[in-house]
Amino acid sequence: MCGVGRSILFTLPMALWTLLMFTPGLLKPGRVEHAAAALTAAFTVGLFFCMIRTGQTYRWRRIFFVALGWLFPVGFIAALIGLRGSMSIPLERMVSGDTPFCFMVTPMLIIPAALTRTVVFPGSILPTPSNPHSIAAMIGLWLAMTLVLGKAWCAYGCFFGGIEEGFAAMAKRPRLRKLDERLRLIPWAVLLAVVLLSAAIFEPVYCMWLCPFKAVTEFPAVRDLQTAIQFGVFVLLFAGLVVVLPFLTKKRTQCGFFCPFGAFQSLFNKINIFEIRFDHNKCTDCGVCRASCPTMAITAESVGQGQALMNCMKCGACVDSCRKGAAVWHIKGTAVGLRPERARLLFLYGAWAMATMFGGSVIANSLATMIHFVLPR
Amino acid sequence: MTSGLHWQVVTEALLLGLATGPVCLATCGPVVAPWMLAQPRGVARQLCQLGLFLAARLAGYLLFAVAAWLAGEAVPQAWQTRGWPTALVDLLLAAAMLAWALGWPRSGSAQPQESKLVQIGAPQPGRPAAALVLGFCTGINFCPPFLAAGVRAAAWNHLGAALVFFLTFFLGTVVWFVPMAALGLVRRSAALVAVARITALLMVLWYAGMGVVLLAGEGFRG
Repeated sequence: MCGVGRSILFTLPMALWTLLMFTPGLLKPGRVEHAAAALTAAFTVGLFFCMIRTGQTYRWRRIFFVALGWLFPVGFIAALIGLRGSMSIPLERMVSGDTPFCFMVTPMLIIPAALTRTVVFPGSILPTPSNPHSIAAMIGLWLAMTLVLGKAWCAYGCFFGGIEEGFAAMAKRPRLRKLDERLRLIPWAVLLAVVLLSAAIFEPVYCMWLCPFKAVTEFPAVRDLQTAIQFGVFVLLFAGLVVVLPFLTKKRTQCGFFCPFGAFQSLFNKINIFEIRFDHNKCTDCGVCRASCPTMAITAESVGQGQALMNCMKCGACVDSCRKGAAVWHIKGTAVGLRPERARLLFLYGAWAMATMFGGSVIANSLATMIHFVLPR
Repeated sequence: MTSGLHWQVVTEALLLGLATGPVCLATCGPVVAPWMLAQPRGVARQLCQLGLFLAARLAGYLLFAVAAWLAGEAVPQAWQTRGWPTALVDLLLAAAMLAWALGWPRSGSAQPQESKLVQIGAPQPGRPAAALVLGFCTGINFCPPFLAAGVRAAAWNHLGAALVFFLTFFLGTVVWFVPMAALGLVRRSAALVAVARITALLMVLWYAGMGVVLLAGEGFRG
């Protein structure tokens, strides 16, 4: 628990950053846009203040993250309907490079680009009037966020993860408790499979066949048997991995047991300086941290080794749930347990700054869309 | 076949193989990479297995060369315009990968005791069947360079020329496969082997799915 004065002081830099990030929104013409930007700015700064004041990370982050996840489709779908009257994208629009680049595609670009200098995504490298979300811009944004956050992208930046975290939060307690720890290996296999197949057939295979979030964003227009099957797969995966299983397990099942991009991001945890460590002197091996982890990134063995697995997304659930203070935030190269609150604060400044920059604009945009919908001009 | 023609066949096929090798590698990658990652560590061992795989792949190539020569351009053109040959190859590949991923044959596969996934299937005495079956299936799995070679081989009026063309084309592509043996340097663990096998199972779903979709498409087309 931090005093009010100190909490305000620590929140001040984030408030200034947020103001900077929302200045474009505040300068836009229209009262609705001003209101949405101001509301979002207050929301993100308020949550950061709560994190500092209470010393808790997970529950405040979750409010932001779920809001991001649930509001993202609202703004995205509204933009699609406004642009072309449908969530489906016809093949000819895809070929002409009108598909906005999604960060999920990033690992699938590597082998084809290395072998044949070809980008296997039907988007444009540079922004165009019809597609501002170009490949170059989105990869640059992903790289910046990844260097700062590592795998924490999955807990602070990914607008897809928030959807299932919302469903996981709805259940009071898990109905499915016993989950095989080897399920954690599946995202790596999916990653290997989609990377190899994308190189083999020159298509971003995950996006064309396996992305559950196509069901609530943009999907190929259903015109034949193949596109009908693709759409069916998207809906089934979304219903199963994003809605039903998170509700039954209180885990982020899509993120933890399927998402290849999450596995890819785990690699960047190796170069990220922030991590979760376990203090053997305080740990009583009660297992609360393992149960609290949304992606099963903590095992008895990893606790024994004093750290979370490399797929830890630094959501803070384990630290918040550990009553003995054995789970701590840590900066690599420093002694474990030495001023963990400072490590947490340093991490949160980076993570929340990125979350505000990336997710804040998404939330503000979706809020403005909703207000316009409720109060037509 | 005259000497001049012979060298024309060799040069053209070798250049075609070298130039399109990356595409061949990418096409075979979904089969080769998981299979090799599940082998025990060691470059020499990997090269040995890869050699068997490539020999079987060559057999597939030469079989196609004979078919292409016998039937002229009808075979490669049928492969390009009709879905069912590709569908059959996809289903065959899916069956072969399923058999391998579920534990058959046991030869050369790492068997870490920690993972039950890699213990599926009864232990069998070592035999190189997996390398040969997977190699043959990828040998008749049609990628664009392979079909280009098929069309060209069919144009020669001599079976020997067609065979030499495919053999040389194959040697050109092999250059790109040799670095795959470097996967033998990767440190093996139960998790890695399990990931490789799960990947193989995902590939089974992919090839089986593609096969069924292609066959269904043929059915609709009549």
